[in-house]
Amino acid sequence: MKSKNVFTFTLGSSIAVVLVSAVSLLGFLWPFFVSSSSSSPQWIFLAATPIALLLFFIKVSNGDLDAKSVALLALLSALIAALRPLGTGAVGIEPMWFILILSARVFGPAFGFLLGALSMVLSAFITGGIGPWLAYQSFAAAWIGLGVAIIPRSLRGRKEILALIIYGIFAAQFFGIAMDLQFWPWYLGADSQLSYIPGGQFSENLQRFFTYHFLSALAWDIPRAIFTSILIAIAGKPVLGALRRAYTRARFLTPIEFKESIRS
Amino acid sequence: MKRPLHPLTLWIWALLTAIGVVSLDSTRVALIFMGVAVLLVKVRADGSPWNATFSWSLRIAIFIITIRAIVGVLIGVPIPGTELFRIPILELPSWMPGIRIGGAVTAERLSSSLHEGIIIAAMIVLFGAASALTSPHKLLRVLPFFIYEVGITLVIAASVFPQLVQSLKRIRKAQRLRGIEKIGLRTLALPLLEEALSRSLQLAESMDSRGYGVSRKRSRYRPSPWSKRDSVVAIISIVASGFMVAQ
Amino acid sequence: MIKFSNVSLIYPQSTKTILEDLSCEIEEGEMVLVMGHTGSGKSSLLRLINGLVPHHTGGILAGDITVDGISTRAVKPGALAHLVGIVGQNPVNGFVTDIVEEELAFGMEALNFPADVMRKRVEEVLDLLSLNAIRDRSISTLSGGEQQRVAIAAALVMHPKVLVLDEPTSALDPIAAEEVLSVLHRLVHDLSVTVIIAEHRLERVIQFVDRIILIEGDGETSIGSADEILQRADLVPPIIRLARALNLSEIGLSVREVRRLTTDLRENVVAHPEQHNSLNKNVIEVDSLALAYNKKEALKKVSTQVQAGEIVALMGRNGAGKSSLLETIVGVSGPDSGSVLVNGVDPATLRGRDRRTAIGYVPQEPSDLLYLQSVKQECESADKENEIALGATFEFLNRLVPNISENTHPHDLSEGQRLALVLSIVLSSNPKVLVLDEPTRGLDYQAKALFSLALKEFAQKFNSPVLLATHDVELVAELADRVIFLAEGEIVADGRTLEVLLSSPAFAPQVAKVMSPQPWLTVDDVISALDVK
Repeated sequence: MKSKNVFTFTLGSSIAVVLVSAVSLLGFLWPFFVSSSSSSPQWIFLAATPIALLLFFIKVSNGDLDAKSVALLALLSALIAALRPLGTGAVGIEPMWFILILSARVFGPAFGFLLGALSMVLSAFITGGIGPWLAYQSFAAAWIGLGVAIIPRSLRGRKEILALIIYGIFAAQFFGIAMDLQFWPWYLGADSQLSYIPGGQFSENLQRFFTYHFLSALAWDIPRAIFTSILIAIAGKPVLGALRRAYTRARFLTPIEFKESIRS
Repeated sequence: MKRPLHPLTLWIWALLTAIGVVSLDSTRVALIFMGVAVLLVKVRADGSPWNATFSWSLRIAIFIITIRAIVGVLIGVPIPGTELFRIPILELPSWMPGIRIGGAVTAERLSSSLHEGIIIAAMIVLFGAASALTSPHKLLRVLPFFIYEVGITLVIAASVFPQLVQSLKRIRKAQRLRGIEKIGLRTLALPLLEEALSRSLQLAESMDSRGYGVSRKRSRYRPSPWSKRDSVVAIISIVASGFMVAQ
Repeated sequence: MIKFSNVSLIYPQSTKTILEDLSCEIEEGEMVLVMGHTGSGKSSLLRLINGLVPHHTGGILAGDITVDGISTRAVKPGALAHLVGIVGQNPVNGFVTDIVEEELAFGMEALNFPADVMRKRVEEVLDLLSLNAIRDRSISTLSGGEQQRVAIAAALVMHPKVLVLDEPTSALDPIAAEEVLSVLHRLVHDLSVTVIIAEHRLERVIQFVDRIILIEGDGETSIGSADEILQRADLVPPIIRLARALNLSEIGLSVREVRRLTTDLRENVVAHPEQHNSLNKNVIEVDSLALAYNKKEALKKVSTQVQAGEIVALMGRNGAGKSSLLETIVGVSGPDSGSVLVNGVDPATLRGRDRRTAIGYVPQEPSDLLYLQSVKQECESADKENEIALGATFEFLNRLVPNISENTHPHDLSEGQRLALVLSIVLSSNPKVLVLDEPTRGLDYQAKALFSLALKEFAQKFNSPVLLATHDVELVAELADRVIFLAEGEIVADGRTLEVLLSSPAFAPQVAKVMSPQPWLTVDDVISALDVK
C-alpha cells in the first residue's frame, strides 16, 4: 500500500478537463468563427466559460482532493495571488508565473492545472477584480500549469532549468495572446481601428487582432517573458529544490506496510 | 444595527444589476449604480479585512477607464465633431496597414471611449462591492457540498494570506538585522516558501486527523438563514434588471 | 484505552528504527508523558495513536495499535477523529477556518453531525475552556495561550476519549502554560479523558503525569511510573537533578514533595549573597522610550541600561512589550519618543555591515536567516560577508554542536542544530552586542545547556552584553545576571536574577520554590552553598 499521491486526474476528471477546455477554447476563439454580426455570441461565450470552470471545480470537488493536496494548493495559490498585485503598476513584473510553472513541474500537470485556475480566482477575490475575464484568466493559467507536462519528467539539472526557461517564455507569450483574445472583442471598444468587427471577414479580423496583439505584446508580454525567464534562471534551482523537498516531506506515494515483525 | 444579509444576496444583486447595466448601456445609469455600490460598502462595511479589497476594485475601475480613454484617443476610429485638441499622427511601418495613430481628438470621440470604460468599470465596482461585503468564509457556509473541496481550498488560501504577509515582514526584519539590506529574491522568497510549505503540511495533518473527507456529506453549523429582507433585495434586483434589459 | 502490541516503526528511505517492539497499555483517564531527546521520535509515537503514522506519513509498521478496540491498521486517521483528538506543536498552523466558533465546528461538520448537537457541544466546550468571551474573534488576533486553548477545544468538541498533545506549552509564558496544564488536569480527573503529552520542559508537566514513556532514540523505549523513569533518565528536570545532587533517598516530582524531603536544608537561612557592584560601562542605554502600535501603547516610558559583559533576560507575559523593546533596541522600529543608544550610536541609523557588527540578532524563527542550500554554503557565505578565514564559522558551529554534516540542508536540521547554526552565523560578524528573541523553544535540556555555555562564553570573552527575551524560567536562572520584567509596556522589576525571580511566585524556578526562603535558584547554587560533594 502507498500513501495517497498529490492531486492527479482520474479518468473522469481527464475527460472533464478536455470538455471544459474545449468549451473555453471556443470562448477564446469565437471572434474568428462566428459570422453573426449581433452581439449575442459574446454573451453566450461570456456565460459558457465561467460555467465550464464551475463544472470542473465541481468535478474535482468530489473526493479527488485529499487534505495534503488541499493544503498545498491553498498555500501555493495564496503565494501566487500575493505575488500577482506586484504586477499591476510595474510592466511585466509578474513573479506569479515563475511559481506556477515550477510548482506544476514538481507536483505534476494536473496539480498545475488546478493551481493555475484557483490562484486566478483567489487573486480576483483579493484584488476585487471580479469580472467576465476571470474565467478566461483561470483557464489560461490552468493551461500553462497543465502544459508543463511537455517537459520530460526525467530531465534534471541545467537542462531542466533551460527547458523551464523556454517554457516560461512560451507561457508568458501564450498568456498574452489569450488575454488579448478575450479582451479584444469588447475591451477596445467597438469603434477603434483595431476593434473586432462582428461578423467581419476572418482575414480582416485576424489582421486587426495581430496588430492589436503586437502593440500590447510590446507593453506586457515581452517584459513578462523576460522577467519570468530571468527568474527561472537565477532562482529556479533553489525554488525547485524547496518544492521537491516539500514533495518528499509530504510523503506522497511513500510505502505503507503493515508487517507482523520488523525483522525480516 | 446591521443585520447580516444572506451571503448570496449581494452577489445576486451584483450579478443582476451588472447584466442590467450592460444591456441598458447608459453612462448615467452605470455611474448611478457605481455610486450606489460605493455607498453600500460605506454603509454596510463591518470592519472585516475583506472590506479593504473594495479600494482595489475602485483602482482597477479607474485604471480601465483611463486605458480605454487613451486607446480611444490614440487609435479610435475618428468621430467627427467638436475638436478638442490635436495630437501628431504617428507613421507606422507599411506592414501595419489601415492604422492611424493620433490625429484630431473630438469631444464625441472622447465621450464614446469614456462611456465604454464606465460600463466595464461599473461591472467591476458592483462585483467588488459584493465581494468586499461577504468574506469567503461566509460564502463557504452556503456553498453546496458538491463544490466544497475547491471552496475550502480557496478559503484556506484566503486565510493564510495575512499569515504570509506577517511572515514576510518578520523575515525581512530578521534579515535587515543580519545586515542584508537589499531585498533579494533568494534571501526573501526561499525562507518564505519553505515556511509556507511546511505550514501546509502541518495543516494537512490537522485536517486529516479532524476527519476531513471522511463523510461524503457535511452538515452545517449555524446555517445562514434566508430572510424576508433577502427576498426583498432579490426581487427588487430582478425587477430592476428586467426593466433595464427590456429598455 | 490505548494498546500498543509489539509496535516497531521504520520510515521508508531511512535505516533508523524509530521504535522497536513497544508494548504497553494506557488506561482510561491516565495522563502519560512521552519524553526523549529532540528528534528521538516523540512526535512519531504520538501520531501512531490516531494512525497519522503510517497512513499520512508512510512507514513500515509492525505490531498493532488499538484505540478503544479499533486498530489503526484498519482505518484512516479521519475515522478516529471522534475517538482521538490531536493538538500539534504549532496550533496556528493547524487551524482551518478563521473564527473561533467555526474552527470548533469544523471537525463535527466534516463528520456530518446534526446542527443541534453541534450547537450544544460548542457551548459546552466554550464553557469548559473559558473561551466564551472570544467565541466570535478572529483566530489570528488571539494570544498564544488562547490559540492553544482553542486548539484543545477543537479537539475536545468531538468528545474524544484520548487527547494527544505535542509540546502544548512550548510557546507559552509560564502563566499561560499553567492555565493550559490545569485544563488538562481537569479533563483527566473530571472527564476521565486519557491524555498523552510530549513536552521538553519537564518541570512544567512532571507533577501531573501518571506514567512516562521514555524514547531512547535507538528504538528502545521504557515505560514506567514517573519515579521509576526519572530515577535513571538522563533528561531530567531541575528538581530531580537537585534530588540526585543531594543524594536524597527518594526523588520527588512536585515542589511540595521535595520540600518535605529537604526541610533540614532550610533551617539556617543564608543571607543573600553580596552584590558586587562592578562599575562597567553602559553599552545599551534606553531612555524614556515610548512606542505605540495602532493607538495601543506597547511601551510606556521605559528606561534602563545594560552593561558590558552582562547577560540580561527580558521576561513578562505574551504581549507585555518584550518584542517591542527588543526591536527598538536593535533598531528595526523607531521609537515614538525617547531614545536608544547602543555604544553611543542610535541603532536605527545603522545599515548593512555596520549594523551586523554593532548588534548580533537571533530571531524567534532562526530559519528566517537561512536561505542557502546547505550548512556549508551558509557558513561560507558568513565567512565571506565578514571577511574572516574560510571555514571559521563552520569550525565554531562544530564546537557548539559536533557532527553536523556540512551538506545537510539547513531546514533538515533539528531545532537545536538550526539554532546553533544561526548563532554561529550571527557571531561570525563579531557583534558588540548579542540580542536573542525566545531562543530555546523546542530544545531539550542538553541542547539548552550547550547553548547557555556558548552565550556565557561570548559574554565573558568579549566583555559584551547579551540581551534575551524568554519565557524559560529555568534558563534564566542558569544563565542571566539580571532580569528585566515587563508588564503592559512598563518595567515592573529590574534587578539581579536572584531577587527578581524569588519575588515572583509564577516566574520562580523549581529549585527556588523548593529551597525558599534560601536564596538559591539552580542546582549549582545549592551545591556550592552547601558544599555537597
